[in-house]
Amino acid sequence: MVMTSAAVPGFLPRAGLDRLLDLLAADGRRVIGPTVGQGAVVYDEIHHASDLPAGWTADQAPGSYRLRQTGTERQFDYAVGPTSWKHETFPPRVPLTIGRRVNGQVTFEDALPAAPPVAFLGVRGCEIAALLTQDAVLARGIAVDRDYAARRAAALIIAVECVTPADTCFCTSMGTGPEVTTGFDLAMTELDDGFVVRAGSPAGERLLERLELTAADPGRTTAAQDAVAAARERMGDPVPTAGLPARLIAAAESPQWAEIAERCLACANCTLVCPTCFCTGVTQVSDLDGFEATAERTWDSCFTLGFSKVAGGNFRPRVQDRYRQWLTHKFATWWDQFGMSGCVGCGRCITWCPVGIDVRAELMAVAPPPPALKAAVGIIEPARPTTVKSVPPAASAALLTAPIPLPAVEELPPTYARTFVAERRRETVDTVTLRFDTSDPDLLAGRPGQFVMAALPAFSAAPISVSRFHRDGLELTIRAAGAATRALCELRRGDSVGLRGPMGRGWPVDAAEGHDVVIVTGGIGLAPLRPLVDALLADRTRFREIRLLYGARSPADRLYVEELSELAARPDLDVGQIVDRAGPDWFGRVGVVTGLFDQGHLDGPNAVAYVCGPERMMTATVDVLRDRGVSDDRIFVTLERHMECGVGLCGHCQLGKSFVCRDGPVFSLAEMGPAFGREGL
Amino acid sequence: MTGAVRATIASRPRLGIMKFASCDGCQLTILDLEDHLLDLLVRFDLVEFAEASSYRSSGPFDIVLVEGSISTPEQAEEIVRIRRETPLLVTIGACATAGGIQALRNWADHDAYRAAVYAHPEYVESLATSTPISDHVAVDAELRGCPIDPGQLLELLTALTVGRRPQLPDESVCLECKRRGTVCVLVTGNGPCLGPVTHTGCGALCPAYARGCYGCFGPREAANAPSLARWFGRDGRSDADTARLFSGFTAYAPPFRSVIDSLGGPPIASHSGEDA
Amino acid sequence: MHGTHVTTGEQRFDVQGITRVEGEGSLRLVVRDGQVIESQLAIFEAPRYFERLVVGRTPNEVLDIVARICGICPVAYQMSAVHAFEDLGEVAIEPSVRTLRRLLYCGEWIESHALHVYLLHAPDFLGCANAVELANLDRAAVERGLALKKAGNRIVAVLGGRPIHPVSVRVGGFSKVPTKRELQALRPDLDAALDHALATVDWVATFVAPDFEREERFVSLRHPTEYPMNDGRIVSSDGLDLAPTDWETAFQEEQVPWSHALQAHMGDRVPYLLGPAARITLAADQLHPTARAALDRIGLADAIRRNPYWSIAARAVELVHAVAEALDIVDGYVPPERATEPWTPSAGTASWATEAPRGLLFHHYELDERGRIASARIVPPTSQNQAAIEADMTSFAPSILDEPHDVATHRLEQLIRSYDPCISCATHFLDLTVEASS
Ligand SMILES: Cc1cc2nc3c(=O)[nH]c(=O)nc-3n(C[C@H](O)[C@H](O)[C@H](O)COP(=O)(O)OP(=O)(O)OC[C@H]3O[C@@H](n4cnc5c(N)ncnc54)[C@H](O)[C@@H]3O)c2cc1C
Ligand code: SF4
Ligand code: SF4
Ligand code: FES
Repeated sequence: MVMTSAAVPGFLPRAGLDRLLDLLAADGRRVIGPTVGQGAVVYDEIHHASDLPAGWTADQAPGSYRLRQTGTERQFDYAVGPTSWKHETFPPRVPLTIGRRVNGQVTFEDALPAAPPVAFLGVRGCEIAALLTQDAVLARGIAVDRDYAARRAAALIIAVECVTPADTCFCTSMGTGPEVTTGFDLAMTELDDGFVVRAGSPAGERLLERLELTAADPGRTTAAQDAVAAARERMGDPVPTAGLPARLIAAAESPQWAEIAERCLACANCTLVCPTCFCTGVTQVSDLDGFEATAERTWDSCFTLGFSKVAGGNFRPRVQDRYRQWLTHKFATWWDQFGMSGCVGCGRCITWCPVGIDVRAELMAVAPPPPALKAAVGIIEPARPTTVKSVPPAASAALLTAPIPLPAVEELPPTYARTFVAERRRETVDTVTLRFDTSDPDLLAGRPGQFVMAALPAFSAAPISVSRFHRDGLELTIRAAGAATRALCELRRGDSVGLRGPMGRGWPVDAAEGHDVVIVTGGIGLAPLRPLVDALLADRTRFREIRLLYGARSPADRLYVEELSELAARPDLDVGQIVDRAGPDWFGRVGVVTGLFDQGHLDGPNAVAYVCGPERMMTATVDVLRDRGVSDDRIFVTLERHMECGVGLCGHCQLGKSFVCRDGPVFSLAEMGPAFGREGL
Repeated sequence: MTGAVRATIASRPRLGIMKFASCDGCQLTILDLEDHLLDLLVRFDLVEFAEASSYRSSGPFDIVLVEGSISTPEQAEEIVRIRRETPLLVTIGACATAGGIQALRNWADHDAYRAAVYAHPEYVESLATSTPISDHVAVDAELRGCPIDPGQLLELLTALTVGRRPQLPDESVCLECKRRGTVCVLVTGNGPCLGPVTHTGCGALCPAYARGCYGCFGPREAANAPSLARWFGRDGRSDADTARLFSGFTAYAPPFRSVIDSLGGPPIASHSGEDA
Repeated sequence: MHGTHVTTGEQRFDVQGITRVEGEGSLRLVVRDGQVIESQLAIFEAPRYFERLVVGRTPNEVLDIVARICGICPVAYQMSAVHAFEDLGEVAIEPSVRTLRRLLYCGEWIESHALHVYLLHAPDFLGCANAVELANLDRAAVERGLALKKAGNRIVAVLGGRPIHPVSVRVGGFSKVPTKRELQALRPDLDAALDHALATVDWVATFVAPDFEREERFVSLRHPTEYPMNDGRIVSSDGLDLAPTDWETAFQEEQVPWSHALQAHMGDRVPYLLGPAARITLAADQLHPTARAALDRIGLADAIRRNPYWSIAARAVELVHAVAEALDIVDGYVPPERATEPWTPSAGTASWATEAPRGLLFHHYELDERGRIASARIVPPTSQNQAAIEADMTSFAPSILDEPHDVATHRLEQLIRSYDPCISCATHFLDLTVEASS
C-alpha cells in the first residue's frame, strides 16, 4: 500500500468522505459545505456526507437558477450557488463595539465574537481567489478587520475543483480557475468513485496523513486533470481582460450607463452575492435612553442611495452612477486600489440579478475590446491567484503616490481614545469649536488636514478635521449638520468623547516651500485649513507670499472672527474676506470667494494653492486657479465623502480609484485627474 | 428628522396615536412591543390612544403617529387640524403612507359605481378615494409596512428619545434577503417577487417563507418598477397578471401606480354590474 | 368625549368614541320616562369595501387581502377563507398541516384574549383607565398579560413570519412549514404561558362583576372531538345545527341606519351572541382537560352564560385551552411531507365558518370559471353580535338610571367593552347592503 505524502496525491473513495468529516469534527471544526436548501445548492453546516448534494446540479442563466437531478452519486457536480464563503469569513452582521455614555462620560468596549475553528468543504478555484481578494482588502491593507482576519485564520480550506461550470461562469477569463493552484489546505477532484486529494499546506498535509489514503493511480490523476481541463475548454474566454481597466475608465461618460439603468433595479443583489464585495456600514443598536449602544458592522452596497449620502447631499443619486461605480470598481479601480481585479468570474452576479443583467455582456457593450483582441479569444493568461496579473499599464500609471507617509496600521473594530472637552466656544449659530485635552500620542502626532473619527455611543461616528493642534490636545470645529454632529456640538466642558485618528493624508506643507501660497476656503471649510495656516506661520520664512481668501454666506457665518482680524493685521499675511449677503455692519466685500482673486497679483506658475469648501465653490476656484497658471500638481483640495470607517475598509468614501479616507481627504488635482468635479462618482 | 423638529421634543414628549381608515394593525404593533411597552410609557406621555386607553385628548401633542388613509371629508379636515397642533407627525403603515389596500377603489369607475349603488351621491363622493396622509399634509417621517415592523417602530421611538437619526434605510428588500441567507425566490422560480423594488424594513419576510414579496412596504427609493414588470412579462405573463402583482397594499404609491396604469389597471370591479 | 344632553324626562347617554375597543364606534342610549326608546351601537369606522376589493383576485391573493380587515384577528380571516377555498377545491390537506392551522389559530386566540383581558377589559374591573394605571396598581399582572400576549404572537410569527398579517397561509397548506426544532423553540415561552394563563383564570375570578343577568341565545361551531376553531357544525343554544358552509340558510343581514355595519340576525329576529361565552356554553365538554379543570375550579360556567361581564372569565379559560393545546401540538409535531398540496382553482361557491377569537366568522365567495373571485360576503362576529349588544343595553338600562350621568355612561361603555367588539372587522358591510338594495 502506497501511502500518500505531500508530493503524491491520494485517492479518497466516496465512502471515505465521512471519515474526513469525522476527523474534522474531532479537531473541533464545524464543517461548512454544499447542501440542497431553498431550491439551491447553498453552504450550510455539514454533519454527514449524506448532507452533500449528491446527484444534484443546477442550470444557471442570467436571472435564473433551477436545480436538476443528475441521477449520479457525484456530490460536487454543481457550479457555485447563491451563498459564498464570505457569509462565514465576513458575516452580514458583526458587533464591533459596545459604547456606553453615562453622565457625559463615554466608554467603548470591544464586542467582537470569537472565531471558532471551521472547515470549508467544496471551495472552488474562483472562490479561493475571492478569499485571497478579500484578504488583500480586509487584512493586508493599512487597516485590518480583526474579525475577518480571525475568521480567516480559523478556516481550513478544502477545495474541490470545479468540473461542471455553469453557463454564467467566466473564471477562465479572470484567471482564477477552474484549476485550484494555491490558497488551499486540501484540494480534491471528484471522480465517479471518489476523489483525488492533494495537500496545499502543512495543515493539509497533516490531515492527508491522518486520512491514510492509498496513492491515486496515474489513471485517476489523469482523469482528474482531464475533467478540469474540459471544464476550462467549455468556458472559453468570454471576457477578454487585456486593457479592460483602461477601456472602462475611458468609457466613464458612455451613454451605455443610462441604458443599463433602464434595466438595473439597483437592488444590490449583485454586490451581496459577489464573494469579493466588501462594503459595510455601521448600524447602531441602542437601548431606549442611548446609554448603551452596540455598533454593528453590516453588509452594505454601493447600489443603495444611503451609501454615498452625506449631510446635505448625495454623490450618486442616479442608478447609472451606482452601476458605473460597481462595474468600474470590480474591473478597473480595484487594480489601482489593490493591484488585482475585483472580479473572480464566478458568475453569481449574473445568475442572481433578478432581471438577468449579465456583466459579461455589459462590459462588452460599455468597453468593447478592439477587434484584434476579439480575435484572440481563447488565449488565457493564468493570472491569479498564483501570480497576480500585472497591473494594466493605464491603471498603474494612475496609482497614487503619497507625499506624506500613510498612517500606521489601523484596526476594525476601532479603538477610541477617551478625550475630554476642555473648552467650548461658539463660532456661529450652528457651529462650535471644542478644545480637547489628550495625551494620546497618535492624536497629538497629527498633521494639518488630517481628521479624526469622533464617536458618541448610539450615534454614528463622524469624520471631523482637526482645526488646531496643541501640545496637549487638539481642537475640532463642528457644525451641527445632523444628529451626530448636533450631539457633538452639545457637549459641555468635562464631557468625554471617543476620538480615533488622526486619519488620512493631510495638506502637503512642504510642497509650498519657496512658493507663494494661496488658501481659498468657504464656510466651515476654514476649519481644516486653520492648522495649515498655523504651520505656515510657524515656519514663515520657508514660504513666499501667503494669501488667505475666505468666503462665507454672511458675516455671522464666519468662523474664528477675532483670529481672522488678528491675522489680517499681520504684515506677512494677506487676508481677504467676502460674504454672499452683507449685514448692516459689514463694510467688506460682497460676492463669491473667487471674486477675491481680483485683488492683488497671483503669480500662478509659482504658487501653491490649498482649497477647501463646498464642491461647487471648489470647482469654481479651481477654474480660476488653472486660469491663472497654477498647475494641477500644486492645487490641493480636500474632499468630503460619506465615511463609516475612516481607514479604507468600509468602501463608502470611494471616489474613482481612491478611498478618500485613506488616500485623501487631501488630493492634488493631478492625482485626481478627471475624477475631480465629475458628476456621480 | 431635522433639527428644528427635534428641538421641540420635550423630555417626556406627549404622544398621540390616531387612526383613520385602517385595520388597527399598526397601532396594535405598539402594544406588540411587549418587552418595551411599560418602559416606553415612562418615556412617552401617551395622551391619546383610543384603542388602549380611556383618556381622550385634543392635543397639543409633541409627536403624533397616524395610522390609516384619508377616505372621508371629515378625515381630511381632521388631519389638517392634527397637523397644525403637531410638530412631529409620523405616518405609520401602508394605509397612511400609500392609501392602503382600500386605495384600489381609486381606480374604480366612480360614476357608474356611485349611480348604481348609492342613494346619496354627495356622501359617496367622499368615499371615492382613499389617499395617503402625505396627499393632505406634510409628513415628518414615515414607517412603512402592512403592518409596520415592531423593530422599526422601536427604532423610531428610541431615536426620538436619544435624539439620533432613526435607521430606517430606504433600500430594497433584497439586501435583507441576502443578509439573512435567503435564496432569491425570483431567480429560483418560486417568485414572482416585488422585493427588488420594495422598501426594506420587514426583515425580508416573504422570501424567507418561500414566497415572493408582495410589496407591503411600498416602493423603495429609485424603484425601477417598469424594468421588473417587463421581466415578469418575459415568461408569458399577461399584462393583467403583472398588474395584479403590483396591485396590493401599496398599489397607489406613485411608482407602482404608474406601472399598474401602464398595464391596464388593477383587477377591481369597476362598477356594480360586474358583481351582480 | 362623553356627551350629556338632558331634556325633560329624557336621559341620553352618548359615547362618541368608545375607547379600548378595536376601531371606531359609538353608543347611544335614549331613555324616556324610564323606557328605552333608542339603543344603538353605531360603527362609524370608514368603510373599506373588502367584499369589492377581492373581486377579480385569486384565492391566494384573497388570503393576503382579507387579513387586512382586522389587525387583531388576521388569522381568523385567513382561516375562514382558506377552508372555504379548500372545501370548494376538495383539497385534502395533510393532518399535520391541519394541526399547524390550529396552532396558528391558538396563537391568535392567545394574543387577542390576552390583549383584551389585560389591556382592555381588566382595567374596568379595577377602576383604571388603561394598562399603565393598572401597572401602577399591579405591575406583575400587566407583565403576565404581556408575556401571554407575546407567547401568542410568537406562535403566529414562527408559523407566518409576523404576528400581524402573517404571510405563510396558502390554499393547500402553508408556503413553508416550521421544522420540529423551530416549534420546540416555542416551548419555554409556552410553558411559562400556561402558568400565566392559569393565574389569569384565578385572577379574574377574584373580580367583582356588576349584577346583570339575561337569557342569551348563543351560537358557535361544535366539533365532535375538538374545541371549536377551524372546523365543526354551526350550533345554537336552542337547537340549530348546520354545516359550516350553510350559514346563510339560517341567518340574514340587514342594514341599520345608524351604523356602517350590517347587523345579522336569525329568522325570528331574536338576537344571538357569539364568542368565548358562546363557545364555553356550547362546547365546554371539548375544552382541554387543563382548561376544563380551571373552569370547574372557579365555578363560573353559569355566570359566563348569564352575565356578559363574566366573558372575561370565558376568555381566561380559553387562554388556558389555547396554550395547553398549543403545547400538545408542539410536542406531537411531525412536519408534513409537503407544505402545500397541489391544487387548481375552479368555478363554484366557496364558503366556510371558523371561530375567530370573537366568535363565528363566515365567508362566502363565488368563483368564476378562471377561479377568480366574482363576489364575496364576509360576516364577522361583531356585526352578528351587534343586535345582542343593543338588546343587552336595553335590559341593562334600568339598573343605571339612578346613577350620576357620567357614572352611568361609563358603566354602559364598560358593558360594550365586555363583548370585545371589533369595530375594524365590522365595517366592510356598507357595500353589501348597497348591493342588496340596488
Ligand atoms: C474628511 C472629513 C472631514 C470633515 N470635517 C468636518 C469638520 O471639521 N467639521 C464639521 O462640522 N464637519 C466635518 N465633516 C462633515 C461631517 O463629518 C458630517 O457633517 C457629519 O458626518 C454628519 O453626521 P451627522 O450624523 O451629524 O449627520 P447625519 O446627516 O445624521 O449623517 C450621519 C452619517 O450618515 C450619513 N447619512 C445621512 N443621512 C443618511 C441616510 N438617510 N441614509 C444613510 N446615511 C445617511 C451621512 O452622510 C453621515 O455620514 C467632515 C467630513 C469629512 C468626510
Ligand atoms: S445589476 Fe442586477 S443585481 Fe445588480 S443592482 Fe442591478 S438589477 Fe440588482
Ligand atoms: S427573494 Fe425577492 S427580495 Fe429576496 S433577493 Fe430575491 S427578489 Fe430580492
Ligand atoms: S473606506 Fe470606510 S471611510 Fe473610507
